[in-house]
Amino acid sequence: MAIDGIKIIHAVMEGSLIRDRKGIIPLFGVYLSLFFVQYYNRLSFDFEKKMGKGREDEAEALLIEAAQECGYATFHGIRNSWEWDEIVGPMIENKEDQILGFTAVAVAFGWGDLEVKELIAKEKLVIQVSDSYEATGYIKRHGSANSGKCYMLRGVAGAFMDLLYGDDYPDGLFAFSAEEPLCRVKGDPYCEFIAQRSSY
Amino acid sequence: MLIDWRSDLARDGHRVFISGLPIAMHCHHYNINLHKTLEDTLREGGVQLLYKAAEEASFIGFQSFLNQYDRIKTIKSKLELAATIYQNCGLGIIHFKKVGPHGGEIVSLSSHHVTGWLAKHGRRKTPGCHFARGWIAGVMAVIYDRQLGYYTVEEQACKMMRSNECIFRVMEN
Repeated sequence: MAIDGIKIIHAVMEGSLIRDRKGIIPLFGVYLSLFFVQYYNRLSFDFEKKMGKGREDEAEALLIEAAQECGYATFHGIRNSWEWDEIVGPMIENKEDQILGFTAVAVAFGWGDLEVKELIAKEKLVIQVSDSYEATGYIKRHGSANSGKCYMLRGVAGAFMDLLYGDDYPDGLFAFSAEEPLCRVKGDPYCEFIAQRSSY
Repeated sequence: MLIDWRSDLARDGHRVFISGLPIAMHCHHYNINLHKTLEDTLREGGVQLLYKAAEEASFIGFQSFLNQYDRIKTIKSKLELAATIYQNCGLGIIHFKKVGPHGGEIVSLSSHHVTGWLAKHGRRKTPGCHFARGWIAGVMAVIYDRQLGYYTVEEQACKMMRSNECIFRVMEN
């Protein structure tokens, strides 16, 4: 059975309407919040700016690391949730299908139109996104850039591979890392993320 | 019911909107990781960035809501709407206890950021609801028809420090 993205989107939209008595949305094993992408983009891109010239690489690394840690914990929680067992589990036929399930959840969360283009077990994952909210937000606020700006999705792409082919949770974090060779902020038609085994 | 949340929270394919503005769903892992990264790296500069980013986004977002619901005109109903949106977005419970155009006191008994911070890092030594402070400053400016940045919000007690509630003091700049 193929992964039914529409069914997953429906489950996320319905689930996000349910709040507990504390005003918190518990869904897919995590606490979910809904907030404007403008907030997240300003945090990332102003952080980079505030770090100053000469520290761009450090800022980029910190943002990617924060996202990869998050993606690792988040999708570990998602994969072990009753919602996953009930909704996504029946669609999973092999280990690699989990990546398709993860990307369907990411699409449902409003992160962009993620599409898995290539997956080589234990080696390589290629994801393309033609409308990442990070690239869209950067272009709107700052215009073009010389390097990729989708730090959240870059970290998350690495985390997907960590969860599938890294050591058992929580020891597999950073087994993989992702690059973003193509990004719309550089004038490319879409953003592309390639996750491979970390070299360190 | 002040609003129709089912239609306010809308999708167009992979995009999600609230009141016509693009949103993303993120969990406590990402929100708290960003918070900690900014705070650990930039110290007060990171705290200010978290506050200002939340203030700007809530200011624009709440303006959009009021434009959409133009029948909501009284201060009381605008405050009620703000608290409802906060809860519907999974951000927590907020009570505008004693507020007016010159500021006031706001109490939160629970929040996404408090729950997330305590789950990931445990008790803090300093108040940590920078997002909530900025969010309050933004909506207060809209409710009392002031410009962005008109109010300053301080946190006088914080559940991240194991206080019983988060208490925010709103002041004019």
